[in-house]
Amino acid sequence: MRTHLAAAAALALFAATSGLAQSSSNSIKRTASGKPDLNGVWQSGGVSLYGEPGIAKPPPPPVNPAPKREPLPYQPWAATKSKTFTPLDDPTLRCLLPGVPRITSMPMPFEIVQTPTQIVITYESFHAFRIIPINDKLEHPDDLVPTWMGDSVARWEGDTLVVDVTGFNDKTWLSGTGSFHSDQLHVVERFQLNRDDTITYTATVTDPKVLSKPWVTGAVLRRPPNTRVEEYECIENNQDIPHMEKAESKGK
Amino acid sequence: MPKLNALLVASFGLILTALPSLAHHSFAAEYDGKELVTLTGAITKVEWTNPHMYFYIDVKDSSGNVQNWAIEGYPPNTLKRTGFSKSDLRIGDTVTVTAYRAKDSTNRVAGREVTFPDGSKKFAGPAAGGPPASPAAPYAR
Repeated sequence: MRTHLAAAAALALFAATSGLAQSSSNSIKRTASGKPDLNGVWQSGGVSLYGEPGIAKPPPPPVNPAPKREPLPYQPWAATKSKTFTPLDDPTLRCLLPGVPRITSMPMPFEIVQTPTQIVITYESFHAFRIIPINDKLEHPDDLVPTWMGDSVARWEGDTLVVDVTGFNDKTWLSGTGSFHSDQLHVVERFQLNRDDTITYTATVTDPKVLSKPWVTGAVLRRPPNTRVEEYECIENNQDIPHMEKAESKGK
Repeated sequence: MPKLNALLVASFGLILTALPSLAHHSFAAEYDGKELVTLTGAITKVEWTNPHMYFYIDVKDSSGNVQNWAIEGYPPNTLKRTGFSKSDLRIGDTVTVTAYRAKDSTNRVAGREVTFPDGSKKFAGPAAGGPPASPAAPYAR
């Protein structure tokens, strides 16, 4: 119950925040149907977006920054378990799908294709894709089998695209080393187009089995220059695992 | 450790507060960000592949013995987008590479800066110890 109240409070906070920002985003690009136009290639970070750290000139600060990322609020037993993992346990090391919201943090581009009835996101990283029906009741199919990327449905709340994701397996990580979750993971993502042509992306993550309260993460998405989403066949020449195993066994 | 007097081995006393993201694996779990080496040799092989690009160079040690080194870099798409193209790496060209040594002590490094025969330089991979390329990547706990 406490978890649900906290989740509701977090969502209310975000609804309020996005409402405030909407009032100052009158000049955003819109589709023919009047919705904010999210179409195009986006990226949250990486050298191909921001250039060499310390060398490239950073872009102007975003008008609507993402929320400050807090540590994962694990239940005590889960915090203990989290520390038992090493980078060798990272599913993406084996080129497996990163899940949501972690995929948004990958330093590679993704493309949003928006229609009045669905949003499609094609990610360069790990060949991931999401076909997201617009469904005002946010109803998921009733035949879900747990998957790496979960099942996504979306609706527009004012000018914010809200994506509800559930139906996850328990095999992905949420962020850094050991950030495991259970099959009760539920993610609510918000995509808000800003007048500086950025998207403020936030994800509110709940998982009653392992988290003590909702965890909020996010990023500012920008348009990488002259970039199209291309092939990334991760398993092609994945040499790192044996070397990491040897390094770990040496205890260096 | 093999005799590698041909290498200029320098240690940096940096406190690694932020490690670079290679998108697919932990840098620090495989490479030592404090052991920056400089390797010079002729390119013997190029693997323009995912999840990382590799190229290989023959490096002579102080005894004149040739050892082949593997240099890991960004994924091909990232290299292309940062201006480092596949055609920059030509078999037989002698290049100089600054790089971080593998923790497993094999002849394997995470490439940083490549100096080409004409003197031009490009980055093949991230700097260890530098700030992340964005506040958003990677998500740190």
